[in-house]
Amino acid sequence: MDTANGIHPRQRLMYMQLASPNPTSECVACTIFEPVKGFRPEIESGEVDVPYSNVIDALADGWKVIQLPDPRAAFDDHDLDVIGYEFVLQKMEVIDED
Amino acid sequence: MKIEDQYRLNNEQMMDFVVLGYHLVELDLPDGLNEEICDELDQLEENPLDTILDVVPQLQKVFTHPQLEGALASILGDDFELSSHRHWHLKPPQSRYMHWHQDGINDRQVTEIRTLLMLYYPQHVEPDMGPTIVVPGSHFRNAPTDRMSTYYNIKGQLPLTVKAGTVAVTVYSLWHGTAANTTDKKRHMIKVPVGRQSDPAEPSWNYDSDGSNELVTGGKKGGQNSSLGNRRTVPSAQSEFYKERRLRRMTWDWLCGIETT
Repeated sequence: MDTANGIHPRQRLMYMQLASPNPTSECVACTIFEPVKGFRPEIESGEVDVPYSNVIDALADGWKVIQLPDPRAAFDDHDLDVIGYEFVLQKMEVIDED
Repeated sequence: MKIEDQYRLNNEQMMDFVVLGYHLVELDLPDGLNEEICDELDQLEENPLDTILDVVPQLQKVFTHPQLEGALASILGDDFELSSHRHWHLKPPQSRYMHWHQDGINDRQVTEIRTLLMLYYPQHVEPDMGPTIVVPGSHFRNAPTDRMSTYYNIKGQLPLTVKAGTVAVTVYSLWHGTAANTTDKKRHMIKVPVGRQSDPAEPSWNYDSDGSNELVTGGKKGGQNSSLGNRRTVPSAQSEFYKERRLRRMTWDWLCGIETT
């Protein structure tokens, strides 16, 4: 994975919570974790704007799925638990911190 | 205590509370009281924890205000009691966000509202002052706080950018956090849990039975078109929404004193 000038691509992570396990379903929440020391995402008070409307749109932009959501078998079909179904994606890119 | 009926919630307000998990009360406080409380909080050098009402006695005027008591009695019954636990939440200038959490541990009886949080804001809260942020409808979700750690911004989340003198009354299990305070001002909030003392035998709000029937059923047996049944909070798949709708109905019936199976 080394590039000609010795700079390594780094793993960007994206957690996407979709309304269902179907990768075309609506993205409810999405966070990108940049591979930069000290990087911390934030909860913000502004309008929530997700970078991709679903997983397929993210795949079309070069992301790869590295974890599929737990289908959460309905052993008790009365309760609600976490919000959405979580896909984890990665994208290997050279990061310019300048 | 004697609850003034004019301050009890009506059917629509209670329905909103059941669906969203919170209700905002903008208190009509004496002129200068919010500022006085804010000044006292600004001067505190350490957190007095459960003794905050002793250290800032003017807070009693807030937490015994008839508008607030009317809202609390509507949800918890007239014999509600304030907890001995209180907390001053200071969001210091230039402080980071606080992650999503539910206070305490999960309460699996999500359709029985036994505890509320009162969050009093003595100052106008602007978006950059680290407002509390809530996820409407999340009070029905049995999700341990650890399982929320990979969520940041969620569609439908709501920052409580409120007027000075507002009290947010929330279901205890409502997901909440804060945004960052990027200003040079302190942002204050006083939190007090409030508990129910007895199960509801009948509605304790300004209940209207005809109106309730319309709100719950929307004129159709399944209730899909009703205020209780057709409102979306966080986007979800159909089966989740069906469950949420059922939980709302169970909560409404329980608050009305109707036994559900």
